[in-house]
Amino acid sequence: MATREELADFLASAERRAYKQALFAVRDENNALDVVQDAMLKLAEHYSDRPAQELPLLFTRILQNSIHDFFRRQKVRSTWVTLLSAFSGNPDSDEDPLETLEAAEGTEAAESAADQAERAQIIAMIEQEIAKLPPRQRQAFLLRYWEDMDVAETAATMGCSEGSVKTHCSRATHALAQALLARGITL
Amino acid sequence: MNEFEFGYRVRQALNEGADRLPYRVLARLEQARRAALARQKAALDRPLWVPALRFAAEGGGLLDLDEPSAAWLWARRLGLAVPIVALTVGFVGIYQWRQDQAIAEHANMDLAVLLDDTPIDTYADKGFGVMIRNEQGI
Repeated sequence: MATREELADFLASAERRAYKQALFAVRDENNALDVVQDAMLKLAEHYSDRPAQELPLLFTRILQNSIHDFFRRQKVRSTWVTLLSAFSGNPDSDEDPLETLEAAEGTEAAESAADQAERAQIIAMIEQEIAKLPPRQRQAFLLRYWEDMDVAETAATMGCSEGSVKTHCSRATHALAQALLARGITL
Repeated sequence: MNEFEFGYRVRQALNEGADRLPYRVLARLEQARRAALARQKAALDRPLWVPALRFAAEGGGLLDLDEPSAAWLWARRLGLAVPIVALTVGFVGIYQWRQDQAIAEHANMDLAVLLDDTPIDTYADKGFGVMIRNEQGI
């Protein structure tokens, strides 16, 4: 069973990456923080009796589920708004949150990128291009290369086959490399 | 550059980006972490729920709270099985009773027809004719 100190250390080590992943997905600072807090609370409340070494994988899954829950809630809210706006004659609110990902404004890092040094600008551009990836490709890429999961763990977390994970990762890598090259960035 | 190398370099950049989070975000994350740890303490302090039947089954003595006893497991199975059995018996009983009722009604009617006790209006009734035809399988 994970002690309080182990849980605290784990959360402290994982929170920034979790926030960034949530931010890439939901595109809003406050919503991303809510998602991360929700995942932290669920982990502490329901899985604190698990061994400390299981916490990273559990937290990753909980975080992904929290992101999905966020979009589900957004969709339900959007449906109600659509229904209600049909009475008021406002036709432009029937949008799928997933479809708005491309059109959403930039991340927090992007906002501050203009005032930072060249390195910070490059990082911001990389983050922007990652945010532009299709959700499944981005999820697979981040789990594999940022969360350091193997293919099987990534497949289990995403609920798909290992072959799909490899395909998503490969496409994400190529798309990201091309996008960065087009902006004059070579890693 | 292969996929893994590219992924590694992107990872470096992402880690660097994660280290440059603004103070307000870090403060909110710390707040969330504290709330989660408080929730863990609450979960640990919460008293364990023990079913009342379990005490009865084991005489209210000192219990091993991790392993449910065989008596409790049986009681739980019985708790599911008894209502199902009672419901089945009830349905079968109602069906039998309805069958007996129908047979008795038909016997009375047949007897009345044979003894010419049936009122003359009965033969003019369409429903009566339909019933007779149904009984004869016409």
